[in-house]
Amino acid sequence: ASMSTRERIKAIQKMPETMKKKREIRSISLISFVLQSFRRFRNSLSERFHQLWLWHKTLKIIGGEFGTSVLSYFIFLKWLLSFNIFSFLINFSFITVPQFIAAEPNNLSFTGLELLTGAGYFQQTALYYGFYTNATISKTENGASYNMQLAYIFTVGMYFVICLLILLISMAKSFCRNFINPQIYSGNASKLLCTWDFNITNEKAVKLKQKNLSTQIKVQNTGDAKRFLNFSKQETLVHILIHLGVWAASLGTAVAACASVYFLSINNLKVRTDFTTSRMFLPIHTHVLLNIILKISIIGILCYYWLDIVATSKSQCWETLIGQDIYRLILVDFIFCLLGSFFGEFLRRIIGTTVFVSLGMPEFDIARNVLDLIYAQTLTWIGILFSPLLPGIQMISFFIVFYVKKVSLMKNCQPPRQVWRAAQMTTFFMLLLFFPSLTGVLAVIAVTVWRLKPSEECGPFRGLSSMFAAVSEWIKILENYTGSKWVVWIYNNLITSELFFFILSTIFLIITYLYWQIIKGRKTMVKLLRKQIVNVSSSFTFILDTKDIEKRTKFTCKTRDSLLLFVSACITLKSGCEYFNMVQCWH
Amino acid sequence: MGNKQTIFTPEQLDAYQVQNKLNGLFYRYRDLAPQLVPLDYTDKPDVTLPYELIGSMPELKDNPFRQRIAEVFSEDGDGNMTLDDFLDMFSVLSEMAPRDLKAYYAFKIYDFNNDDYICKSDLEKTVNKLTRNELTPEEVRLVCEKVIYEADLDNDGKLSLEDFQHMIIRAPDFLSTFHIRI
Repeated sequence: ASMSTRERIKAIQKMPETMKKKREIRSISLISFVLQSFRRFRNSLSERFHQLWLWHKTLKIIGGEFGTSVLSYFIFLKWLLSFNIFSFLINFSFITVPQFIAAEPNNLSFTGLELLTGAGYFQQTALYYGFYTNATISKTENGASYNMQLAYIFTVGMYFVICLLILLISMAKSFCRNFINPQIYSGNASKLLCTWDFNITNEKAVKLKQKNLSTQIKVQNTGDAKRFLNFSKQETLVHILIHLGVWAASLGTAVAACASVYFLSINNLKVRTDFTTSRMFLPIHTHVLLNIILKISIIGILCYYWLDIVATSKSQCWETLIGQDIYRLILVDFIFCLLGSFFGEFLRRIIGTTVFVSLGMPEFDIARNVLDLIYAQTLTWIGILFSPLLPGIQMISFFIVFYVKKVSLMKNCQPPRQVWRAAQMTTFFMLLLFFPSLTGVLAVIAVTVWRLKPSEECGPFRGLSSMFAAVSEWIKILENYTGSKWVVWIYNNLITSELFFFILSTIFLIITYLYWQIIKGRKTMVKLLRKQIVNVSSSFTFILDTKDIEKRTKFTCKTRDSLLLFVSACITLKSGCEYFNMVQCWH
Repeated sequence: MGNKQTIFTPEQLDAYQVQNKLNGLFYRYRDLAPQLVPLDYTDKPDVTLPYELIGSMPELKDNPFRQRIAEVFSEDGDGNMTLDDFLDMFSVLSEMAPRDLKAYYAFKIYDFNNDDYICKSDLEKTVNKLTRNELTPEEVRLVCEKVIYEADLDNDGKLSLEDFQHMIIRAPDFLSTFHIRI
């Protein structure tokens, strides 16, 4: 009775009763009419919204044939697409549309080459930073005015804050649901009873999955015997050496790739590197990790090149140059993605079915594809400040990639054989999207906005000492109006004061530490309770169970041994004492 | 869109968990037997569809456990479902159902003899359904023994609901695999 309505509804939903009973319980406990009508309104809204659900049928077909793991890639792609759609919409409405009112005519001619290079005609379009004016736009004399500088910086800032919040919340929800704990995952029981994929609705796929499961069970039955064979020392040494060798080779290639990217950037050429061969020699987690390291280092080097060399060079409009660089990178990445699909899946299927028939059809490489998506999204995020309409281009690219991957999947791939820990990997990928990707982008944006001097002749921030100076100048103007004193107060005491962030970080660390201790305590509690259950039930089975002698002897042996040990300890102690007494008596 | 509002009373709409798919699910139910199911549900007619129609749905027809699913969610235990049972089923199998609810119903599905425990014979039937009877009886027995050894916490030779729920915690994929898209 003390629960809020929302909690009550959730509790009713959780009860395993039929609809009829739930309805009765609900009508008894819920009284407020206003709340009911509000909920009805919200439900009808969400029903309308669901009818606009994009790609619902396609996702159902993919899930039906290939299972939840491959489906998770497409759902991730759809999710990233929504970020880009949101960004494009707000950038277009708040930055580009006002700009069109005060636009200068474009004097350059359009040749088709611009689609590839991003330069030329596009240089003076709304695509790049340089196009935007630094003026305050007003349609009529003394009418409402629109400050382009503030609009630019606030729109981009707001977008990133919202992105951060959405990612944080999704990550937290995902952790909650999926509770990554790799060491307690493996187990026959959970594999058997918990991982049958109810999503699969295609007859062939069901038969295939059943066959895979029976093969796995057979292998595991025989493999259990082999597991207890110890490898000889020599074999383990060779094993370790091979591992180290492949790691060294991969890291060496990574360093070489980064160096080549750096030098080629200086010479304005673009390349893309990838790591497909290491997959054959290393387990999947290491392969994914190496790919991540490579991509992070490449992006790191590019950012250093852009922020340190391009931005400080005396070239006209360096922001537009960076924007063009990113545009070309995204285009090359898109082309390589399509090519990767062509070679990795289409040609591989042709080879696997005609030339080397033992190879068979390829499986869809989820890890590589997701990492490609994260890489593309990172580039887009970096590029938003320098090219506001870039998310629109990425949107189109993701659309095309979705359909290409879907067709390639249906025609060329077979369902995955191994159990892919979809839930854990999805959480891991989301974590990856947040941690190196978004935070790295935020760091780059922060450096650009606070430290770099905008170019003199183009863009909304021309002539200022830094992009953030636009905000500080605006605050200075606001100080003269008494109605906006609170804005000035917030700015001076919360946003620009270091003390506030220090206090915030300390509170955050304290809360994290408290929760960590609570979790540790609960884990110990769980272990103790488990032991208690086993002990209590084992004592009961000892008393009651007369049939299963094997189990009983296992437990009784333990108790008997400990009892014997205790008794023999007592006897030794007693004899030891008697001996001592005897010795003492003699003296 | 206007005529959809007369199918259910507002109170009926409130009770269902899959609110945003309610009308879609109703039309799927009706499509199975348009001559039996009336369009107007405001006076709560008593209509039951036989198991053969439910089991022929594209989402269920290739699922090895479709019979058990229908039996668990039907009122009479034979697989013949009213609209309430149908909505119950897809509500539990939807994305939004909580983990405990799903675990409860998954347990009931795997409990073939309905004795509130998953005993060895239940497990053997499950394994055979999962592998399409391709394993030898010896291998099936071995697997079942391993499962009971791993999951049975209170050592009574069979899995209770608590054992099953404890096992679910260690399988984070359960929420996404015990899910049927409609």
